[in-house]
Amino acid sequence: MTNEKVDVVIVGAGASGSVYASVLAKAGKKVVLLETGPDWELTDLISSEIWGRRVKPAGAPVLLEGKNPMTYSAQGGWGVGGAALHYFANFPRLLPTDFRMKSEHDRGSDWPIAYEDVAPFYDKVARDTGVSGDAKAEEKWRPAGEAYPMPPMKTFRNGDIWLKGFEANGIRMVPAPVGMNSVEYQGRPACLYDGWCHVGCPIGALANPQVTYLGNARSAGAEVRALSTVTRVLTNPAGTRVTGVEYYDDKHQKQVQEASVVVLAAWSAQNPRLLLNSATDKHAKGLGNASGLVGKFMMSHHVASTWGMFDEDVQNHMGTIAVQYMSYEHYPKTSHATAFGSSFVTAGFAVKTTDLANSRADLFGPELADYMKRAARNLAGIKTFGEEQPRMENRVELVSDKDEFGMPLGKLTHTYDEDAVALWNANLEQGLKVAKAAGAKESWSARGSIPTSHLMGGTIMGTGAANSVVDSYGQSHEIPNLWVAGPSIFPTAGASNPTFTIFALSQRGAERMASQWGTLTN
Amino acid sequence: MASIGRRGFVKGATAGALAFVVGGVEVIMAAHEARARGVPFRLLDAHQGETLEALGETLVPQAREAGIAHFIDQQLSVPPGESLLQARIFSFRPPFAEFYRAAIVAVDAGSNRMSGRDFAQLTTGDQRAFVNLMRQNKVEGWTGRPGAQVYAVLRADAVDVVYGTMEGYEALGIPYMPHIPPEKRW
Repeated sequence: MTNEKVDVVIVGAGASGSVYASVLAKAGKKVVLLETGPDWELTDLISSEIWGRRVKPAGAPVLLEGKNPMTYSAQGGWGVGGAALHYFANFPRLLPTDFRMKSEHDRGSDWPIAYEDVAPFYDKVARDTGVSGDAKAEEKWRPAGEAYPMPPMKTFRNGDIWLKGFEANGIRMVPAPVGMNSVEYQGRPACLYDGWCHVGCPIGALANPQVTYLGNARSAGAEVRALSTVTRVLTNPAGTRVTGVEYYDDKHQKQVQEASVVVLAAWSAQNPRLLLNSATDKHAKGLGNASGLVGKFMMSHHVASTWGMFDEDVQNHMGTIAVQYMSYEHYPKTSHATAFGSSFVTAGFAVKTTDLANSRADLFGPELADYMKRAARNLAGIKTFGEEQPRMENRVELVSDKDEFGMPLGKLTHTYDEDAVALWNANLEQGLKVAKAAGAKESWSARGSIPTSHLMGGTIMGTGAANSVVDSYGQSHEIPNLWVAGPSIFPTAGASNPTFTIFALSQRGAERMASQWGTLTN
Repeated sequence: MASIGRRGFVKGATAGALAFVVGGVEVIMAAHEARARGVPFRLLDAHQGETLEALGETLVPQAREAGIAHFIDQQLSVPPGESLLQARIFSFRPPFAEFYRAAIVAVDAGSNRMSGRDFAQLTTGDQRAFVNLMRQNKVEGWTGRPGAQVYAVLRADAVDVVYGTMEGYEALGIPYMPHIPPEKRW
């Protein structure tokens, strides 16, 4: 069945898709979002670790390979709002050095834009969605910008207790910027600090797309079709333009949605999968893939977690899942003598029983039961996110195995290189020093397999089709009315949590699309 | 596989319990209640249920009474997109029942090689010793997914039923502080 043609069809109703929908619908465009998962109401967001799994990834799995398989499910999304429905909402930004990796360090790629090109959009996103923090305090490490619209969030003993340890190690900590309300903002209430953010915030204090961009988009006339799985992007016979998408609806009926512009905003592993599966005789390797770079340069952040058991009750049930403190002190790429790459240091977050149990994954039986009782009062943690360099070998490709709609599954191969491993180890060692100086009676690193967090890359931006898939706005180098949004367009990863940058780049891309609309539809 | 519709699922969620079938009628109750009432398994056989209970109890004390086998069995019977199992977080490919069945076979095979008996028939001490080897991938002749992964998934399931409920939080003295509480304490 073919639906009435619209101006824009957006594949994916998560962080990036929701921004495009909002901007374009408000610009008067007829917008349809197709989302493979269900739609959610805020009242679906039950405060439970167990029930909270309903909003975590389901559907066709991504096959995971490599020495460090990308474990995405705890942080990934399922349904309208995507991962941002239940994200931690840490809103650090990338720093100028991230945009100049090749120029400054002869590694990876330069972005085709500079920090200054994105900075105004960080400020706009902060105003539009509501960010709490202390911009002035951050500006010791970054160029000045606008103040955040809300003061920093409250802190709790599980965060404050680390400050002495950081100070002793020369790491300055400042209030972390977060996409949460420290005070009532734009009709949304202030946070209650009960730590259930990771299963979704039903009061709207967390800036999830349902209460920000998607709400605006719907008000402006955008249509969201849930349980609609896109399998192909369609092109004209000449292969010069996309004409829409093929998808399966909630009754598993095949549909076609024609559109003047297609935006792929389906997450870093799915955008390449869709492009590769949309191959035609004119695009034998997949759409936008003349360079052979679609699916390449997948990146992750590794996370160095340090736990400390303290004598006092640190109230670790209080706070948010976002962090209370952060530091760019070790963000310069050569901060560690023995390792390369940026590190983003954080401290102070609420924990739930799953976190308590996972903090000592080796314990079981009566020892675990004893540990849980102690940890419930005395456990606190710090986390340092570390940068991974982009490598061709980390990739998404199609396999012969298919999903229920006959679409080949994606296989994501991911292995950390020596730089990443060295940086992770350096950050773990640093963490133990901080814990000791903070007065922890016991402290330990969360070792074992190196965590993977925040999937990025796969359709990277660059200056041309020879070195990238899209330009800095997300527009395909090869097909002008095909756009890609989200972390898949990052050419390097930095070490900052990516969602603030996803929102900012999407705002920039969507405004560009609206301003250049005439050139896209001719 | 048996299936409940989204409406029934949401009903269970808001009621804070799961949908079990008793005498051909769908009844909403918590997993520990289902065990206490002897609700028949939907997918597991008796041996599989017994083994999951023994593994769960070894991993997290009180998991048996908390209804770990009934929880897993009920969750295996719903569509994967509605599943609450940790297998979802471990990015397993559905159907998740395959993981549990294979894990039980691997555990029993290893247990029989080591002690000549199925895992559920081992002494408590031998069960602990076996699990300790399993978590380190040190069970000789092990086949299928790594023992450490089986340990991690089943331990997480057991943590769910013992500590992940409102009762579990209360037992640890942790204020639950829900925005939207699961009624009936789960």
